[in-house]
Formats: sequence, structure tokens, C-alpha cells
Amino acid sequence: MAAVSFQRVSKRFGEVEAVRQLTLDVADGELLVVVGPSGSGKTTALRMLAGLESVGEGEIRIGDRVVNRVAPRERDIAMVFQDYALYPQMRVYDNLAFGLRRRGTPKPRVAERVRRAADMLGLEPLLDRRPRELSGGQQQRVALGRALVRDPQVFLMDEPLSNLDAQLRAQTRGDIKRLQQEVGTTTVYVTHDQVEAMTMGDRIAVMNDGRLEQVGTPEEVYDRPANRFVAGFIGSPAMSFARAGELPGLSPAPPGDVLVGVRPEHARPWADEVGLIGPLEGVVEYAEALGRETFLGVRRDGGPRLVVCVDGRSGAQPGDRVAYGLVPGGLRYFDPQTGDAVETPR
Amino acid sequence: MIDRREQALTYTLLGVFSLIALVPIAGIVLTALQAPGELATFGAPSGFHPGNFATAWDEGNFSSYLRSSLMVAVAVVAASTLLSIPAGYAFGMMRFRGEQALFYLFLLGLMVPLEATIVPLYYDFRDLALTDTYAALILPQVGVSLAFGTFWMRAFFRSVPRSLVEAARIDGSSAWSTLWRVLLPTARPAVVTMMVLIFMWTWNEFLLALVMVSDEGLRTAPLGLAFFQGRNTTDFALLAAGAVIVATPVVLLYVFLQRHFIRGMLSGAIKG
Amino acid sequence: MSRALAPPGEPRRVAYLYLLPALVVFALFVLAPLAHSMWLSLFEWDGVTPGTWVGLDNYGQVVSDPELRAAFRHSLVLVGFYAVLPVVIGLVLAAAMSRARVRGLALFRTVLFLPQVIALVVVGVMWRMIYAPDGGLLNEGLGAVGVGGQDWLGSFPLALPSVGLIGAWVMYGLAMVLLLAGVQKIPQSLYDAARVDGAGPVREFFTVTLPGLRNEVAVALTLTTIQALRSFDIVYVTTGGGPGDSTSVPAYEVYDRAFRGGDVGTASAIGVYIVALIFVLVFLINRVAEREAAR
Repeated sequence: MAAVSFQRVSKRFGEVEAVRQLTLDVADGELLVVVGPSGSGKTTALRMLAGLESVGEGEIRIGDRVVNRVAPRERDIAMVFQDYALYPQMRVYDNLAFGLRRRGTPKPRVAERVRRAADMLGLEPLLDRRPRELSGGQQQRVALGRALVRDPQVFLMDEPLSNLDAQLRAQTRGDIKRLQQEVGTTTVYVTHDQVEAMTMGDRIAVMNDGRLEQVGTPEEVYDRPANRFVAGFIGSPAMSFARAGELPGLSPAPPGDVLVGVRPEHARPWADEVGLIGPLEGVVEYAEALGRETFLGVRRDGGPRLVVCVDGRSGAQPGDRVAYGLVPGGLRYFDPQTGDAVETPR
Repeated sequence: MIDRREQALTYTLLGVFSLIALVPIAGIVLTALQAPGELATFGAPSGFHPGNFATAWDEGNFSSYLRSSLMVAVAVVAASTLLSIPAGYAFGMMRFRGEQALFYLFLLGLMVPLEATIVPLYYDFRDLALTDTYAALILPQVGVSLAFGTFWMRAFFRSVPRSLVEAARIDGSSAWSTLWRVLLPTARPAVVTMMVLIFMWTWNEFLLALVMVSDEGLRTAPLGLAFFQGRNTTDFALLAAGAVIVATPVVLLYVFLQRHFIRGMLSGAIKG
Repeated sequence: MSRALAPPGEPRRVAYLYLLPALVVFALFVLAPLAHSMWLSLFEWDGVTPGTWVGLDNYGQVVSDPELRAAFRHSLVLVGFYAVLPVVIGLVLAAAMSRARVRGLALFRTVLFLPQVIALVVVGVMWRMIYAPDGGLLNEGLGAVGVGGQDWLGSFPLALPSVGLIGAWVMYGLAMVLLLAGVQKIPQSLYDAARVDGAGPVREFFTVTLPGLRNEVAVALTLTTIQALRSFDIVYVTTGGGPGDSTSVPAYEVYDRAFRGGDVGTASAIGVYIVALIFVLVFLINRVAEREAAR
């Protein structure tokens, strides 16, 4: 188990810069989630770590070793692919055993390791089946098992849950997280789903357009986003943005006409004596009732639209006028030009 | 929506053209069963003389012709398959300099018929005293089959999801073991199709045998049939029996593996 | 900037090793003979005594020799029979199919494709018996309806078309199967849209079916055209180029002149012409298809 390190890594495909000056460390044993929209470079970074793409500039280290020129099989890594990439004509057992056999592992050891991995993932009843006889969830577990069996220094996961339905995805998220903690192997996990990122990562690395925007724990990235992109990407429903001039009475007073970010949970229906900033008024444009809470899209007259979170069910309909207030500690300020977070004066 | 009349029209067209395809074939089988020796009518179902086949087989020497054809076809199929798979793998899965140019070279081979190269082939083999050998029949046909085989296997390998090969690579599989252990098991239908098509083309090849072979013991089936026709221009029944014998192996293969034949011709062609 | 073009460990130079055996055999028995053919075409040689250099004379001879001109003319006629006719038949069927659903299509396909797997020598023998003036199927059938029979393969004006029809018989199944497969790939929604716009069957054919079949038509034409230009087996077995010269074809001239006539140089030149002709026609067919696609 070793740390992984990207040092000013760049990669270009023709005219397109897929990864720009990526500098990122992964601590030993941690599960780092690299999250970002498509085209952000996260997959390219992962593939460079795997050795499936050549490194343009910079260095990638696994442990102390610079692995830029090292072939994938020599890097002691294992990868779980989005489409699982199971060997179609082999039984599950052979799928799991393949990597070990390729390295000349003696038969009894192969059997032992395969059994152990199958045990951990509940694959015993499936060992004699072929991939096409398995459900998506089962195939995914086999893919995980194949990585487990190799007992590598690093696990690489490329959107392993994307092909599962929502319910299975939620369940498998927890399974993978528990597994990783149990085994303790350093893991780099790539996804576009920020919910996965928030729930699974020890730390999250947010990428956009080839650049690393921020890396930190889920709490850090959520509470103290480094810039407007991270603020708007993490959290669902997304943070609402408005210019400081469009929201009167902000406290603490914003330094100039900055961009103000407000998460839905920090915009609440108006109530006196609760210490809210406001009241602000607007027209309901839409209402999303999710049972436990309702999100209203409220537009101030001729101004920005903010998402307001209401506990339980709200009777508000599109067209109604509502009053709401902002939670003081929930405001985030960003530079309107650069998007960087601006220190909130206390 | 679906016009009854149009439906009927379609069935009629299909039926008529199917019949047109079948009639000559049925005709020759019927003719083969007619009484030998006389000037028979083609296709008339008069008489049942399966002995014609035995006559053609023994006196007509078709047993020897078939054996020769089989040897050549099997050798060509085996050699072409063994060489096309790695070549197609290289073109389909590896990146190397000159890849485009080399591939176009093979593509060129698809358009160069034996008719254009038969002359120098003959004289070269003659100079090496290799005419009238199996080598003279096998080697040129392997060459031509490689153009198709390489192209075909390349198309297959390109259709394999990249992630499968990458997973094997990360698992520590070398290019060679990836080819034989991971990819080839999935390639079976494609390989069978290739083998079946090459078998058919080799079995049916005539000009090469005509030019290279003068020894009767080496004559392949189509060549044997041409000579047989020369000796039996009026004995339709016997001639028909010989023709049926020559065509039967491939037709049988076709009947059992028709999916492969048709799919092969169709998708191999739709390369664009 | 890293110099490695490919990801580490990805086979690069070893690719040549995988390629080598196939390349060697292919070069030895296809490319080298082709080049050798071009070389031989520059000489006048009888195959036994030393040859004499004649440069491009043989190529000129192909143009000036009326026999050879006729042979190439004939091959173009055969293109009409082997390629154009089958494709037209295939299109008619595709047009009918586009509006109907057919059950048992697999069976029809199997039967239609059958002529393609039969050795051309067998096809020749078969049809020679069909065309036979006495006892042939065609004349017997015509006699039954009171029409006089002909010497199909033996009379000057009829021989070439008769040979052509044999080729059409061999090829139309391939064209049909190809075009049928293509027409089934055309989304029904295109037809629905055309119908809503008020298009009748003819209109539908030209606006939906034909454009949708562009690729398949190009492929069918390519395959059948190559067969037409190669045509040797059928001619050898049915007419031997006769009567007179009326069914001579370039491939037959190659054989005849090289191995019977002791004129290897001219034969080689004809061979080179055949290849060139194939290239040109295939190129043109695909060019037109692409141009239509761009429209």
C-alpha cells in the first residue's frame, strides 16, 4: 500500500488539453474520489495512472517509484472498468484467477486468493457461471473481485457504478466503501456523480476542464468551496448564485459587488425572530416536493432565482408570492471575475 | 398500413427469383439421375440411376479429384487462418508506424485477381520446377486469402471493446496471451466465417489449377470437371453426376453453416 | 515533452512480428507477381526463348488490336449483366420489401444465395446443358410453348448475352441479399414521415429507399463488377471465347495468349489492364456513392 502522487501532470490530445498541471497526492490507504463533469480530465488522469495513456508532462509516482514509463502490469495496480470488462468466455472463477495465473502464481495460492475474494463479495455461488449469465450487479461484483484478488498497491475505479440502476447504486456505494476500509488499499475513484463523491470519499478532488479545482474532505469541499465551480458542482440541488447588489441587507456586508452563493438549506421560508436575513420576496417558479422537504425556485422581481428549502410539504404553487430569508452563516462570496472564493469578513 | 397487395407482390417476387435460382440446380441433380449414355434432356425427371455417381467417382476419377481439392483447401484454410489472426490483431489492436500504408497494401490485394498474376506465377513456379505440385496450388491461394483474412480479422479486433484488452493488460497479460486466451475465444464465429469462405473460394478455384497442373493425379475438382466435360460432351447424365459431386461439399457446408456464409459476405462487404 | 507516443508497455515494434508472416506470404505470392506481371508486359516473350524489350508496345497493342478491344468491350457488356442487372433486380425487391413484412425471410435468403457457393465451372457445365440446342432445358421449354429454340451459345449475336445471363443468375442472389439486409436497416420512421408527406411508392423509393441503400448498392456493384471483369471460368467451360470471338473476355485472352499463343508479354499487359480497370471502376463506384452521401 503506497501513496500516489501526481506532480504537474499534463496531457494533450491533439489540440485539446485534457489535463493541465495536475498536482495531487493520495494518502496511503485513503479513498480519494476524483469528481467532475465529462471532459474534466478525471478519466484521463486515472488512465495515465493506470498506464493506459502516456504522460504528456510531469511525473506520476506510485509509492516512491516514478511510473511514467512503467507498463501497467508492472505498476501493481488493479482497475475496475465502467463496463466491467469481464472476460466473456471464461467462468467467473477464471476471470478472477486470470491475473494471478498470468504472473505464474502457484495453483493453491490462486485458489486461496480467489476463494477469499469471492467470500468477501458473496460470489461463491457464481464461480462457475459465465459473465453473460450474470446480472449487472453481479458482474460489477466480479469486476471488484478481480481487482481484490490481485492485492495491489492501488485500486483504480472508473465510474464503476454508472451502469447500475439507482437503487443498486446506493447499496453498492456502501459496499465498496466498507470493502475499501476493510482491505485498506489506497483507492482512486473517478465519478461524475457528486453524491458518490460526498458519501464515499475520504477526500474529494474536484476537476474541471483539465484543472484541479479543489481537493479536501467532503466537509471542506462542501462548506468551504474554493471557487464558484466547486460551490455549484457539489451539493444537490445546486447552490444558487446572485450578485450582492441584488440581495439587500446582507450581513456580514459583502466586500463590493461580489457573487453571493446560497445553498438551498440556507434559504428558508420567512419567520421572525429566527435571525434570518431578509425578508426577501419573490414569485415561485417551480416546486419540487420530495416528501421530506420541498424545494421552491423563487425569483425576485426582475432578479435572480434562489432555491428555497422548506421542511415537509409546502402548499406553495407556481405563481404564488412567498417570503424567505437567508441563514447568515450560509453565505459564500466569490469574485465575479475569477470565481475564487473571497474571505467572508466576520 | 401494410398493403395486402404489396405483401403478395413481395412474396411473389421472392418466390419467383428463388425458383429461378433453384431450377437449374434441381435440374442438374435430376439430370444426374437419368439413364447414362444417351442424349438426355436436361432436367427431365426420367429414371433414377444413382449409379451415375459411382461411375463418375471411379471411372471419372472424381474420388481423386475431390481428394486433391480437399488437401489444397484444408492447407490453404489452415495457413491463411494461422497467419491472418496475428496480422489482423496487429492491425486492429496495435499502433505502429506505417500501419496505414501496410493496411492499404493488403486492401490492394483484395482487388488484384489471380487472373492478373497467373502468368508470372506460372513462370516463377516453372523455373523452380514446382509446377504440378500442391505447393503451386496452395501458396498463391494463401496469398490471396490473406488479403481477405487480414482485413476480416482486423475488422473483428477493432470491434472488441477496448476496456477488455486494457483489463487484460493490467492483469498482466502479454499481447500474445491476450490474443489467444482472451480474444480468440470470443472470435470463434468470426474465425469460422473466415474459414468457411476461404474454403469455398479455394475449392471453387479453377484457373490456377488449369495453369499449374498437368498431372492428372493432382487435378482439383473443378479442373477435373472441365476435363470430364471434354470427354463426355453428350452424356448429360454422367456429366451432371460429375458436376454434382464437385459442387456438393461446399453446398453441404453452406447448408449447415449458411449463417456464416451470408454474414461473412454481407459484413465483410460493408466495410465501405 | 515525453517522447513515448504510445502508452508504456503497449506493443509497438513487436507488431511487425505479428504482421511479418502474413506480409511475407502476401508479398511473395500477390504483390511480387503483380510487379512481375508489369515487368513481363514490357517484353515480347514466348516463354521459352529469351524475350525482347518492347517497352509499352504491348499496352498499345491492346488498344489497337481489334480482338483485344473486343474482349474489353465484351467485359463491359458483362458488367451490365453481372452487376447492373442483379443490382436492379435487388432494388426492385428492396423496394417491394420496404413496405411489407415477410415471414420466412431466412429461407428465401438461403435459397437466393445458393448460386454464389457453387463453383463457376459447375455453373458453366450446368448452363451449357440448359442452353444445349438439343435436349437443353431452355429449348425444350420453348418448344413446349411452340416457340423455336436457338443455338444460344453457338450463334454470334446470342452467345454473349447468354453468357451474361449466366452471370446474372450467379450474382442476383448476392445483390438481393445485400440490399435486403440494407433495406431492413432503414428506420421505419423515415417511411412514415414520407407517407405523411403524401409520398406514393415511387416517391418513397427515390427519396427514402434508394438513398438509404447507397452503401449497399456501392458494395453490391463493387463485388459484382469485379466478378464480371475477372470472368474466366464460365467462358472457358461454355464457349471457349467463341463462336469466333464473340464471347472473348480479357481473362480468357490472358490465358490463351500466354499459354497457348506464346505471347506472354501481351498477356501480362492485358492482366495489368484488368487490374487497372478494376481499380478505376471500384474507385468510381465508391466516389459516386460518397458524393451522393454528401448531398
